[in-house]
Amino acid sequence: MILFFLTSGLFLGWSLGANDASNVFGSAVGSRMISFRKAAIIASVAVILGAVIQGAGAAQTLGKLGAVNAIGGSFTLALAAAVTIYVMTKFSLPVSTTQAIVGAIIGWNLFTGNKTDAGTLSKIVTTWISGPILGAAIAVPLYILINRIKKVSKIHLISFESYIRTGLIIVGAFGAYSLGANNIANVMGVFVPAFQLQPLNLGLFTLSSSQQLFLLGGMAIAVGILTYSKKVMETVGANIVELSSEAAMVVVLAQSIVLFIFSSSALSNLLIKIGLPPIPMVPVSSSQVIVGCIMGIGLYKGANNINFKLLGEITLGWITTPVMSGLLAFFSLFFIKNIFGIDVGHKVAEGSIGNDLVISAPDASMSGIMKYLLIGIIISGILVIIYFLLLERKKTRELKLSEEKFWKNIK
Amino acid sequence: MAVFTRATKNLILKIDEFFDNIELGLLVFREGIKSYLEKDIEAFQRHIQKIEGLESNADKLQRAIENEMITHSILPQHREEVSKLLDQLDEIIDSLKSSLNEINTELPDIPSELNKDFISLTEVSANAAEELIPAARAYFKAPYTVREKLLKVFYFESETDKISLYIKRRIFQEMKDIDLAHKAHLRYIVHHIETISDLAQKAADLLAGMAIKIVM
Repeated sequence: MILFFLTSGLFLGWSLGANDASNVFGSAVGSRMISFRKAAIIASVAVILGAVIQGAGAAQTLGKLGAVNAIGGSFTLALAAAVTIYVMTKFSLPVSTTQAIVGAIIGWNLFTGNKTDAGTLSKIVTTWISGPILGAAIAVPLYILINRIKKVSKIHLISFESYIRTGLIIVGAFGAYSLGANNIANVMGVFVPAFQLQPLNLGLFTLSSSQQLFLLGGMAIAVGILTYSKKVMETVGANIVELSSEAAMVVVLAQSIVLFIFSSSALSNLLIKIGLPPIPMVPVSSSQVIVGCIMGIGLYKGANNINFKLLGEITLGWITTPVMSGLLAFFSLFFIKNIFGIDVGHKVAEGSIGNDLVISAPDASMSGIMKYLLIGIIISGILVIIYFLLLERKKTRELKLSEEKFWKNIK
Repeated sequence: MAVFTRATKNLILKIDEFFDNIELGLLVFREGIKSYLEKDIEAFQRHIQKIEGLESNADKLQRAIENEMITHSILPQHREEVSKLLDQLDEIIDSLKSSLNEINTELPDIPSELNKDFISLTEVSANAAEELIPAARAYFKAPYTVREKLLKVFYFESETDKISLYIKRRIFQEMKDIDLAHKAHLRYIVHHIETISDLAQKAADLLAGMAIKIVM
């Protein structure tokens, strides 16, 4: 039953992969610098690594907004957010999973009579505004710098594009890592307090309970990327603004830096050490950051070629997403509680948010199932990657053979 | 990554070789016309053979470049325009070859008093195409300089028009001793030589647009 409750989180992860991976590789795939298949494989691996290695920071912040203290509640919130994202993705709108989950958590707070922590909410909403601005502030100087280098070095256009392509792969992998690190909180954050597992020893390293959840969530994101992100990637890359290859790379790099900044505990600790204020560990909307980066470059180039109609549609999605998700969560909680009789959470005593969590003792049988499940999924994932690589190799070989045949016939 | 580098280097070399072929073709064309006017048929035949080799090589290179750009997904955003540019440059060398071949087939009787004018027409028309090559090379390395390089193409094209008009006027208004069919044939040869600069101008227009797009 507990595993069943996780499915909504996995569905949300799938939605995030389908929708937000476009922010990392959308401009590269949209500008046809990298094939979708290559981008999808790189993004899938990097997103899982980011989620497992660096996913904890942003998840804690989300827990403070509303500590969902029953697995039934976590299930309903993740489902409400996932359905919202799915509907938006259906319309090819790059919406934000962060807003969907925040809307759903506020819906849970309202339903259970919990007070929404205004400080945490304002911290999150502030990053919704500061994220795109920071993205634009990073993107424009980077864009100017790359163009200056291109002009001064007089590098051959083909060599330059080749370097940009390599850069796009590296930056895209970094972006996917940052996306996993920052946005895994949206997918699995609501499950962390109510789901306890024994540490999983994989020989080389040990995964904690939350890391196991993040690994599962990361895999769900990867499946979303592989199965459903192509259409949205093409929307981001081709529709908002005509992106040159260097602009595509700068956009991904700037966005990755922003996501990394808002999920790196090490960077935040470093700032504290040198006497500066810490960086809030907040799940940032990658969709908003990417639009900020693209708009920044667009404005720098003279805003004539920006598709304002599409930007308007995206902005509308920013408002409708949390509202829709919140309402859906509120009514779903009502049905789940009153019709199915499942516990969806209760009111937490004032001043004890984050501490009054239902932390049950780790379930040994559940941990055993998770262990084999995770190992099985990891092995299948590796096999799928090998299969795709072999397929790619076969395609290249076939192309080479047809080329040779063509020239032989010409002679 | 090594595959990218190798494919990139190969492609750059092929594009350079393609441009070299066009430049060489223009030199051979000039020499070919001169040798015909000087009645040195042996040298003329040698030039025809040479230009046929260059044209065939340019065709092969053009196909190979287009194939490699698609196979290795190189210059995805500019591929179509680069292919169009190569196609228009290839039209120039095609035109050089067909002009020499038609002269070789029809053996036009060019009066010796027109020799100087024909040489001048050939020089200026070939110059227009020749000035296009550095601009095309610059598109890949310094697109900011393309437009200034193209100015010479437009200048030589307009000079070609003037010279061709002058020759045609001489043929039809001053040379009373040759018949109308002969005059029409000479005009046809003038038109062939003049076409080279027209093709160069067409390619220059395309290149100017490409350069703006890449600089913006």
